[in-house]
Amino acid sequence: MRLVAYLLPRIAAALITLFGVSLLVFLSLRLLPGGYADILLGPFVTPEARAIIAQRYGLDQPLVVQYMRWAGAMLSGDFGVSMVTQRPVIAEFLRRAPVTLQLALIALGVALAAGYPLGVLSGVRAGAQRKKRDFGRLVGAMGASVPDFVLGSVLIFVFSVWSLWFRVGGYVPFTADPVGNIRSMMLPGLTLSVFGVALILRTTRDAVLRVMTEPHITAAVARGASPGTIIRRHILRNAAIPVVTVTATYFGFLLGGAVIVEVLFSIPGVGLYIFNGLLNRDYAIVQAGVLLAAVVFITINMLADILYALIDPRVGAVR
Amino acid sequence: MTARLLKTRRLDGLSLFGLITLGILLFLGIFGPLLPLGDPTRIAAGPRLDAPSPHFPFGTDELGRDFLPRVVQGIRATFLLSAIAVAITAVIGTLLGLMAGYLGRTTDQAIARGADILFAFPALVAGLLVAAVIGPGQVSAITVISIATLPLFIRVVRSVTLGVAGRGFVTAAEVAGASALRVMLVHLLPNVMGAVMVQLTYALSIGMIIESALSFLGLGVQPPDASLGSLLRQGSGYLTIAPWMVLSAGVVLSLAIMSVNLVGDAVRDALEPLKGRPLT
Amino acid sequence: MPRLSRPSLSALALMAGMGLALPAAADSVITWGKPAEITGFDVHVAGTVASWEMYQMVYETLLTTDDDLALQPGLAVAWEEESPTRFVFTLREGAAFSNGRPVSAEDVIGSLERIRNPEIASYWAHQLGEIVTMEVLEDGRLAVELARPHASFLPALAHITAAIIPVEEYHTGDFDPASQLMGSGPFMVAAHDQDERWTLVRNPHYGIDSLPRADRIDVQIIPDESARMAALRDGRIDFTTFENPDAPQMLGSTASIAYAPIQTTNYYRFDVNALSEASPFHDIRVRQAMNLALDRDAINMLVFNGTSAPDFPVPAAFGNDACRDLDTYALPRAERLDRARALLAEAGQPNPQVELMASSANEVLVRIAQVTQQSLAEAGFDVQIAAVPTAEYLQRVFTDGDFDFSASWLAGYTDPGMVIQWWDPNFAIWNLAFQAEVPELSALLAELRGLPNSPERDAALIEACEMIDDGANLLALVSKVDYVVYRADQIEVTLAERTGSANIWQHIAEFAPAE
Repeated sequence: MRLVAYLLPRIAAALITLFGVSLLVFLSLRLLPGGYADILLGPFVTPEARAIIAQRYGLDQPLVVQYMRWAGAMLSGDFGVSMVTQRPVIAEFLRRAPVTLQLALIALGVALAAGYPLGVLSGVRAGAQRKKRDFGRLVGAMGASVPDFVLGSVLIFVFSVWSLWFRVGGYVPFTADPVGNIRSMMLPGLTLSVFGVALILRTTRDAVLRVMTEPHITAAVARGASPGTIIRRHILRNAAIPVVTVTATYFGFLLGGAVIVEVLFSIPGVGLYIFNGLLNRDYAIVQAGVLLAAVVFITINMLADILYALIDPRVGAVR
Repeated sequence: MTARLLKTRRLDGLSLFGLITLGILLFLGIFGPLLPLGDPTRIAAGPRLDAPSPHFPFGTDELGRDFLPRVVQGIRATFLLSAIAVAITAVIGTLLGLMAGYLGRTTDQAIARGADILFAFPALVAGLLVAAVIGPGQVSAITVISIATLPLFIRVVRSVTLGVAGRGFVTAAEVAGASALRVMLVHLLPNVMGAVMVQLTYALSIGMIIESALSFLGLGVQPPDASLGSLLRQGSGYLTIAPWMVLSAGVVLSLAIMSVNLVGDAVRDALEPLKGRPLT
Repeated sequence: MPRLSRPSLSALALMAGMGLALPAAADSVITWGKPAEITGFDVHVAGTVASWEMYQMVYETLLTTDDDLALQPGLAVAWEEESPTRFVFTLREGAAFSNGRPVSAEDVIGSLERIRNPEIASYWAHQLGEIVTMEVLEDGRLAVELARPHASFLPALAHITAAIIPVEEYHTGDFDPASQLMGSGPFMVAAHDQDERWTLVRNPHYGIDSLPRADRIDVQIIPDESARMAALRDGRIDFTTFENPDAPQMLGSTASIAYAPIQTTNYYRFDVNALSEASPFHDIRVRQAMNLALDRDAINMLVFNGTSAPDFPVPAAFGNDACRDLDTYALPRAERLDRARALLAEAGQPNPQVELMASSANEVLVRIAQVTQQSLAEAGFDVQIAAVPTAEYLQRVFTDGDFDFSASWLAGYTDPGMVIQWWDPNFAIWNLAFQAEVPELSALLAELRGLPNSPERDAALIEACEMIDDGANLLALVSKVDYVVYRADQIEVTLAERTGSANIWQHIAEFAPAE
């Protein structure tokens, strides 16, 4: 019951947020100069042709009507049709979701596998050695500072000049060719993970530092427990909470579609779909994409909140 | 703040490295146009795609422009646009955060929901949309950075304000008949400044990433002017035969963001120290 | 919950892929690295090269062109000009759509009718001229009657937008041109994953012996140039195209990578806004000054590394010299600059501020703009560059006329008499928003429409060139070369020396894996 009381206002807030997002994306798309008629017909667009295309896709209706139609259709599960292909955009999102999910999982996996241990190590050592030779901090600072398109470009340079097993572009579905899939997905996955490594490393390091100032660590040290035991028993568990939150946020961000990395490596995921939809002024794609990304983001954050409340009962009580 | 930073004497090697790098980059950014480096937009200053040499230390680009002054111009644009955007955002975000935290109720709800909406909107798509609506250029870069970093300020300032608003001196001021505006600006503002300072450096590094990402996608500064992102876009078309473009712009951009991050860390450590302790 | 009314596309693709994979060992497969996804399915509507290139695999047109851009048979094996307004076509025996149904005269008539239907909004309608009647004759022949002579009628039929679609299936609803491709060309679509890949398989009913030579084309969409180069180097794709003239240098000296520049009648151009009073170019003297101050050689050397050449309103690829002796091209640059400055002074605008717009999606255009900015500055122009998203560029230039001048490129098509018609805005239509009508020029162009290739026409072309240059409203810059790059060790290709309608893959049926 407490969980319900905890959740209800959050769900209400989430719905308001989604409404705001939908309105924002809808309106900003209509404000964009140029439309699908321009893209389709190029220079040959005439006012008559523009009118016909607008009518074909219901774009001649007042904005309120267009929005209501879209929102109404969406509530019944109809996310609209792409103007380019005439196909339902939801089918295309479902086809691409596994691609983006795979990228996100690779990035998250690498980020956790590298960031968490390094963070713990760095935090413990920082306490012990007063920040001297703090390798973790250096990695953290570097990882958070190299933008994905810089790293991606450099990787493309290295791997397209020398044939080094990994591929630049050339995505194939895992089901069709598992090895080819891994070869083409690792570079974009690694590119995406670097920020995550830094993020998780820094968060873990801070959390460890914070935990280590708490009295029960002092008590344990006083009891003469070995450093290994202290780290395992006391630090790791208590430091996990902020890491969970940050991991969730990062994952939500990744699932929203890593636009630049997908564009750079020609990975046909959700991000590339939205990006091309925007260039083509294919409204339904961008609208659905932004809304779905917001839903995923909000849901994952809410799950993290719940997890947070379960791990640390104080949180529920405070609010 | 600098005095306080130095007084803590906790400036380790990494922070010092960040501070020095930032100093050099800021110097180049501010005084770049005055330095005798050559004209960053002069086409055919040398051969096309010429590798780095004593005459062109960073090589030349595909139109025969000297790449070194272009990078310096890029530093200026990237820093300047992000700094302007973050300064504007900090003011707006702080005010909104104060209002949300102090006035509470409906105001708080409205501002918090607004921040949520901005937060839930995929950042880069939002950036692309805004840049396309306003039209590529400096104004849109500043707007996009502001929109992306606004929720950061609102959230932090709001939570600090919530913690301070119930304290005695605030109540005392209220009893003495101070207006809400006065309470916020005179009594609460000094208390949130520390948190704002910490956010400022993070927002600056986020702003630099966003500006360069937009320019990389062709929606940032207009040619022939350069930002570090537009130089990367320019160079990415010639990676295999002229890697010096992507490498020089990429390294400088990464260093710039890193120096801001490191200085930000130092500021935060000075303001909210997290003391470690030995385990033995 | 979202409903999924049909199986997901990738499942279909997978099924198709497996169905094809079994006999794959014996199949001959070629792989095309395509730089961009199509922008729409409707062959009669989409006006982008990225779409045309895909349509050319699937659809046929009545006529095509040879290396000299002369008309040659397509779906029509013969055509007869019974009078300047009446044409009779004989269809190829054995031509059939990929569902097996033979192509009939009704399909041709229905397709042309569909193009002319204002509801369809095809930009090609006016290119065909005014068709009065179309009738089916015996022996797979049909006749088309025009209201008045229209020299570009036959060349217009050689453009992919005049493709013949299966009209019977279109009317019964079995074929939807807005979401499907189905034609009588060498290949048919077996699977399509948007932005990712197409699988094209041979049209079993193509009806020309032993063609196509390849059983299947795997198409990979790879927009990023570096990624496309990497794919070529790995041998993952067999053939592709680049717009960047430095591509061969970037690909390095690998023996297995062959490189073929294809001459086209296309050229890079500036559209200059003569109609908006808000633009300094409203004054013809400012336009003329700009045209004189342009440095086409610098564009060629700096943007194209000297691989292109200055081009003319009548494209150089036609081998016609009509515009070569104009002052714009013949005078030394210093003299042209002097004249440009004098014109600006006369116009009372010694330093006009103008904005040069280009689509940011095309880096080549942005480079042309930057070179132009510098060379125009020498005459006193203050040029600002606006590199904007494609959709915005298109709307502002071609609909709103809200710009000073813009960079783009122009399709020269297959006949000098056809391309020069662009200078009559009421005929061209697409440039109505910024092109000033010059009545004498329009009259001359109308006369040219009826003239066959002759010394008389050459004289008229020279006269037209002078008027065109004088108006400085739509400027030819440098030729646009398409660079086809392929793996000589993996594929045998047949390429045209010269193309006029962006149909560089017109001999795709003869492509095959190398032995």
